[in-house]
Amino acid sequence: MASVSAAPTGGKRPASGGREGDQMVITPLGAGNEVGRSCVHMTFKGRTVLFDCGIHPAYSGMAALPYFDEIDPSEIDVLLVTHFHLDHAASLPYFLEKTTFKGKVYMTHATKAIYKLLLQDYVKVSKVSVDDMLYDEQDIIRSLDKIEVIDFHQTVEVNGIRFWCYTAGHVLGAAMFMVDIAGVRILYTGDYSREEDRHLRAAETPQFTPDICIIESTYGIQQHQPRVVREKRFTEVVHSTVAQGGRVLIPAFALGRAQELLLILDEYWSNHPELHKIPIYYASPLAKRCMAVYQTYINSMNDRIKNQYAQSNPFHFKHIESLNSIDNFHDVGPSVVMASPGGLQSGLSRQLFDKWCTDKKNSCVIPGYVVEGTLAKTIINEPREVTLANGLTAPLHMQVHYISFSAHADFPQTSTFLDELRPPNIILVHGEANEMSRLKQRLISQFDGTNTKVVSPKNCQSVEMYFSSEKMAKTIGRMAEQVPEPGESVSGLLVKKGFTYQIMAPEDLRVYTQLSTANITQRIAVPYSGSFEVIRYRLKQIYESVESSTEESDVPALIVHERVTVRLESESYVTLQWSSDPISDMVSDSVVAVILNISREGPKVVPVEEAEKTKEETERVAQKVVYALMASLFGDVKVGEEGKFIISVDGNVAHLDGQSGNVECENAALRERIKTAFRRIQGAVRPIPLSVS
Amino acid sequence: MGTSVQVTPLSGAYGESPLCYLLAVDGFRFLLDCGWSDLCDPSQLEPLAKVAPTIDAVLLSHPDMMHLGALPYAMKHLGLSAPVYATEPVFRLGLLTMYDHFLSRWQVSDFDLFTLDDVDSAFQNVVRLKYSQNHLLRDKGEGIVIAPHVAGHLLGGTVWKITKDGEDVIYAVDFNHRKETHLNGTVLTSFVRPAVLITDAYNALNNQGYKRKQDQNFVDALLKVLASGGSVLLPVDTAGRVLELLLILDEYWGQRNLKYPIHFLTNVSTSTIDFVKSFLEWMNDSISKEFEQNRDNPFLLKNVSLIINKEELEKLGDAPKVVLASMASLEVGFSHDIFVEMANDTKNLVLFTEKGQFGTLARMLQVDPPPKAVKVTVSKRIPLVGDELKAYEEEQERIKKEESLKASRIKEEELKASHGLNAKASDPMTIDGSSSRKSSNAGSHFGANVDILIDGFVPPSTSVAPMFPFFENTAEWDDFGEVINPDDYMMKQEEMDYSMMHGSGDGLDGKIDEGSARLLLDSTPSKVVSNEMTVQVRCSLAYMDFEGRSDGRSVKSVIAHVAPLKLVLVHGSAEATEHLKMHCAKNSDLHVYAPQVEETIDVTSDLCAYKVQLSEKLMSNIISKKLGEHEIAWLDAEVGKEDEKLILLPPSSPPPPHKSVLVGDLKLADFKQFLENKGWQVEFAGGALRCGEYITVRKIGDSIQKGGAGSQQLVIEGPLCEDYYKIRELLYSQFYLL
Repeated sequence: MASVSAAPTGGKRPASGGREGDQMVITPLGAGNEVGRSCVHMTFKGRTVLFDCGIHPAYSGMAALPYFDEIDPSEIDVLLVTHFHLDHAASLPYFLEKTTFKGKVYMTHATKAIYKLLLQDYVKVSKVSVDDMLYDEQDIIRSLDKIEVIDFHQTVEVNGIRFWCYTAGHVLGAAMFMVDIAGVRILYTGDYSREEDRHLRAAETPQFTPDICIIESTYGIQQHQPRVVREKRFTEVVHSTVAQGGRVLIPAFALGRAQELLLILDEYWSNHPELHKIPIYYASPLAKRCMAVYQTYINSMNDRIKNQYAQSNPFHFKHIESLNSIDNFHDVGPSVVMASPGGLQSGLSRQLFDKWCTDKKNSCVIPGYVVEGTLAKTIINEPREVTLANGLTAPLHMQVHYISFSAHADFPQTSTFLDELRPPNIILVHGEANEMSRLKQRLISQFDGTNTKVVSPKNCQSVEMYFSSEKMAKTIGRMAEQVPEPGESVSGLLVKKGFTYQIMAPEDLRVYTQLSTANITQRIAVPYSGSFEVIRYRLKQIYESVESSTEESDVPALIVHERVTVRLESESYVTLQWSSDPISDMVSDSVVAVILNISREGPKVVPVEEAEKTKEETERVAQKVVYALMASLFGDVKVGEEGKFIISVDGNVAHLDGQSGNVECENAALRERIKTAFRRIQGAVRPIPLSVS
Repeated sequence: MGTSVQVTPLSGAYGESPLCYLLAVDGFRFLLDCGWSDLCDPSQLEPLAKVAPTIDAVLLSHPDMMHLGALPYAMKHLGLSAPVYATEPVFRLGLLTMYDHFLSRWQVSDFDLFTLDDVDSAFQNVVRLKYSQNHLLRDKGEGIVIAPHVAGHLLGGTVWKITKDGEDVIYAVDFNHRKETHLNGTVLTSFVRPAVLITDAYNALNNQGYKRKQDQNFVDALLKVLASGGSVLLPVDTAGRVLELLLILDEYWGQRNLKYPIHFLTNVSTSTIDFVKSFLEWMNDSISKEFEQNRDNPFLLKNVSLIINKEELEKLGDAPKVVLASMASLEVGFSHDIFVEMANDTKNLVLFTEKGQFGTLARMLQVDPPPKAVKVTVSKRIPLVGDELKAYEEEQERIKKEESLKASRIKEEELKASHGLNAKASDPMTIDGSSSRKSSNAGSHFGANVDILIDGFVPPSTSVAPMFPFFENTAEWDDFGEVINPDDYMMKQEEMDYSMMHGSGDGLDGKIDEGSARLLLDSTPSKVVSNEMTVQVRCSLAYMDFEGRSDGRSVKSVIAHVAPLKLVLVHGSAEATEHLKMHCAKNSDLHVYAPQVEETIDVTSDLCAYKVQLSEKLMSNIISKKLGEHEIAWLDAEVGKEDEKLILLPPSSPPPPHKSVLVGDLKLADFKQFLENKGWQVEFAGGALRCGEYITVRKIGDSIQKGGAGSQQLVIEGPLCEDYYKIRELLYSQFYLL
C-alpha cells in the first residue's frame, strides 16, 4: 500500500527518525475519492479517533461497509458522527454491535433522535431486497444506549482527546468536529454548507485554525445558483405545472432537504390563495415520524425559525398533508407529491414516476445531489425513453428539472472557508474522483506560495504527518518558590494528566491532584531472649551507624542506619520499627537475620578482621565486579590502562574511565547507555550511602 | 505568582438578600448574578450602583428574580453596559420571568423602575452559551476562559468556571446534586481542587428526606384537600421550579387518571411551556432518551391547562382545583389575588414549595404559628372615565406636542451635521426601519429630501443665516443617462427574508401571550385603584421543600469532595454561613472566607509556578506509572536554557538518591475486600484491620485532616512470621513506589 507523506509543519524530521508518538496517520476507510460510506480513521500519540461510520448507498450488504478490516476497532477511543445521513451513520449499528469496538460514540441530540428512526426505516426497506443484512432492528436499539450526545460548542474530553463541534449547515443536527490531541487540532467538516437556508444556520467558521482540515469535496469546483434564483425556479416550475393541470413529482430523500422544500412550498401556498385547492403531499411515513424532532430542536436552527417559533411552530404545516402509501392516494387532477427515495431506485417515488412519466403536462423536479448509477441521474440528461420498474420501456415525456437544493458547499464556499481558516494541511474526502482532483488543482493554485498542502487519498491510503510537539511542564507548589538557574538540578514528581505535565514536590501531590501519598510504618516483633548488648555488638559489626536512641524511653533502643529502631520490649522479644521504603526494608531484613542468628547461636557472622580490607583491595574487587557486569552487558569489553575499559559494540568503540565514569564514544546512544549502566553498577558495588535526601 | 482574585459581595452575604457579587480576576471585573428581590426596592442595589459602570462582564446562573431580576434596572439606570453571558434557557426563561414580573407589577401599580423595552434591551446583550462550552474572552479579558456547567436547581442553571492560566475559579450557587424529574444533577463534583470556590450557605442547616417520599407527601397533601372539596394554591416562580412541580403533577394525574383541573397561571404561561418544550437537550438524560426513542415530550402536559388571565379561572367557580400561580412571594401577581380570595375558606390550602423571600407576604405566612390575619393591599388597574380621562388626554396631547417639537429640533441638528455629506449616511438615524430599507434601494439619493418635505422647515437654532436646506443631486450622468449601481436593483436575499419574517425584528422578543399583549398594547388610559384590607387566614398553610437545592449534608460533602484551595461562602443566613464556615474550617485544611456585603476579600492563590520544557532526551529515560487518569514518575533533571526558555535536561552527574514516595490512596474497607479475595481471613477490630491471626493494619489520623504533608499514615504490625511479609507485599501492591 502506498503511503503519502505529507506536509511537515514546523519541525519535520526524517520519517525514519521521527518518534512513533509524533506521527499522525489519517486513513480514509471510505469516502476517499468517492461519495458514500464516509469513514476516516485518525491516530496520533496513541489516541485514535474515527470520524463517521457510513455505508455506500450504491452497494448492499458487506460491500457497502467502509474498509473496517484495515483497522483494529478495539483501539478506537472516540467515534464522532457528524450527521444522520446513511452515508455517514448507517454502519454504526454494525460497528458497535459486531466488532470489537469499545470506545465512545458521540453525536448531537437531533442526529441521535433521527438516527434511530432513519435506520429503522432503512432496515425495513432493505430487508425486502437484501439477503445479507448487516444488522437488525434490535442492534439499532442496543446501539442507542452506547451513543452519547454532545451539544454544539460543548467541549468533551475523553482519554486526553478534547473535542467539540460547530454548526455545519447541511441538515438538522449536522456538526463539524474539531479534535484537539496534545495541542494538535484536526477539523473534520463532514458535509457542510456555508449558505443559510430557510431553517438551518450556515456553517460556522471555527475561531481556531486547525493544523489539519479534512473537508468534503462533493461539488468540486462547481458553483451553485443563488438560493433566491433556485427557489424562484422551483416555485415557478411547480406553479406552472399545476396551473396547466399537471402533477409535480419531487423525488427527495425523506429527511434533510425535504423539510426545506416543504417550508418553501408551504409558504408559497400561503401567499397564493389560488393554489389552496391543489394538494401537496409528502409521502413518507418516516418524514412524518421525524417531524416531531424538527418541531422540537428549534434551537439548532437559524434565527429566522426561532423568531417564527415565537409566533407559531413553522413545522406545523398548513397546506401540506402526509401520505402513508400510494393506496391512499387518489390521483385525480393536479397535485404536488414529494416522495422518497431521491434516486428513484424503487419505492413510492418510482411508482409515481412510472405512472406519470409519459404525460408531458407533468414535471419531475430533482432537488438534490443524485448518486451515479440511479435512474434520477439518468433522466437528468433527458433521454427519449426510460426503463420502467417492470422492465418495459416507455417514452419520457414529462419535464425534468434539476434544481439543486443540496446543502453541500460549492467551490466559492469551500474556497472562502479554507481561506479564512488557513489550515496548513488539507485532506479532501467525500467527492467523486474527477471533481476531487479538479478541486485539488484549484486549491493548490489558490494557496500557491503558502505552506499549504492539499492531498486527496484514496480509500485505505494513509496520509502521514509529523507534529513534533514540545512538551511543556508546569512546576508548581513549593518546588516553584524559586525559579532555578541553568545548571541547577530539579527533582520531584512528574505528573501527567491527559497531555499536560506538572512537576511538584511529593508533599504537594495531595494539594494539586486527587492523588495522595502514604507512609507505611512497620512494626515487627522478633523473639529474642538474650542480652541487648549482644545485638548492639553484632549490628555494629555490620553497620556503620548504630546509635542509641535519643528518645526518652524505659526500654533500651538502637537506631540502625538511621532508619530502623530496635527496641527490647520485654524479656522475650524485641521490636523493629521503621518507615517503609526499599532501603529500610532491606536493612530491617538484615537486622532480623542478625537477631535470629544470635538466638540460634548459629555460625558467627564474618570476623571483623576480614571486613577490614585495604582500600586498594576493595577497589580491585570493585573493578573486577564492574568488569564482569560490563562484559555481561556489552560483550566485548577489554581492560585498558589505569582502570579503563574499552568497550566495542557493532564497530563503535567506547572508552570508559573506571574511576570517574567518563565515557568517550562517537555514538551518543551507546555513550548514554554505558554511562547509565556504569552508574547503576557503581550503585550496586559500593556500600549504601548513609544519608539520603 | 498566581492569578490575582478578589471577591466583593454586593448583596447576598450573611443574609438571604438577592445574589450579586463582584469578582475581579487579574483586574477583569465579573458581575456574578444580578439579583433583585420580588419587592423591587432600588435601595437594595446601592452597592451595585457604585460599581456597575466598571463591570466588564456579567455571568448569570439561574433564570429567576433572585439571580437576574435587577439586570434591566441596572442596565437602564445604573450604567451597567457589559456583555452578559448565560445559557439559552437562562436567557429565554429569564426574559419571560422579567416579562411576567413587569406585567404583574404594572397591573397593580404605576411601575416605572423598568419597562418591557428595558427588559428587551437588557437581554439583547446576552451571549448565549452551551454547557461545557469554553468561551474565550477577548481584549481586556484575554486569557480568561469562561464555561457554564450543569448546576441543577433550575432549567439551564449554571455553575460558572472561570479559568486563567490553569487556575479555576468556580462560582456555584444554588446547585443541586440530585437528579430530578426534569433536570440532571450538578457536575460540580467533577471539578477537583479549584483555586477558589464561591458557593452559598443557604441550605447549610437544612436537611431533606428522600425525594420519592417527598413527592408522595406532596401529592397526598393536595389530594386530601381536593377530596374534601377545597382548592389548592401553589405560589410558584414564573419559569423555574414550577416546571418540576408541573411534571410531578402531570405524571401523577396521568397515572391515577384524576379529574381535578390543574391550572398554570402566569402572564406568560403558554410561551413558557412552548419554549421549555424545545429545551429538551438541557434536561435530564432520561427525558432526552425518552424523546430520542419514542419522541415523547414530557412538557406536552396533558393534565394541565395553561392560562394567562384570571377570568378563565373565575369561570370555573368554586370547584376543587389546583392552581399554580406566580409569584412565589405572594407580593403581587396572580398568586396574590388568588390568595386573597382563597384565604377565607378553611377547606382551602396554600402550599408553599419554597422558602419565602425575606420581608414578603409569603415569608410572613410561613412563620410558625401562622398569623391569624394579614394586611394586604388589593389593587386593580381600571380604565379612566369622565374628567379624569379628559385630563389625561390633554396631558398626553401636551406631551406629544413637546416631543414632536423636540424631535424635529434634533432632526434638524442632525441634518445640519450631515449637510453636504451623502444623505444616505444620516438615514438610519432619522428614518424608521422600514423606510430605511426602501431607501437603501434605488431611491437612496432622495431619501433625506423626502424627509424634509414631510417635516417642513424649522431653521436650526444655531445657524446664523437660516436658509432652506439644499442638497445637490450628486447623481452622475453619461451619454446613456444616469449612472446606476446595478447592486441597487439586485433582488436582495436579506430582503426576502425580512419579508418572510413575520414582524418580529431582532430575534429578541420572546412572545408575550396574546392576552397579555392585548393588555399591554391596549392604550386605553387607565389608573390603579388600591385599597388596604385585612385578610383572615382561615385556610391551611403548608410548606414543603421543593426548592431543588442540595441540602446541608450534601453541600458539605460536595465541598469536601471538590476540596478547593480557598472557599468563599455567600448567600445564607448569618447562622448558616457561620455553621458552614466552622464546619469546613474544622474538617479540612482549606481557607474559608465569608465576606460581608461590600467587603472585598483577596483570594489570590499563593500558588507559585513556572514553566519548563521537557527535553526529548529526558523524556525517553523516564518510565511513568499509570494511576487512574494520571501518569506519574520521579524526575531528576538539570535545568538548561534555550531561547529564553527553561528546559530540563538529563542530569549530568548521578542524582543523589531521594526519599522514596508511596503514592496511592488506600481505603481499609477496599483493602479488606482485596485481602478477602486473596483468601485471607480479615476482620475489623477496634478500628484496625486484623489480617490472618496476628497481623494488624491500622490508619492513624484521617487523611483529610490537616497535618504535615497530608499524607496517609499506615501502620502494619505483627510478629515475625511468613504472613507478615505476605500481607506487607499485598499492602505494597496497593501503592506505587517512586
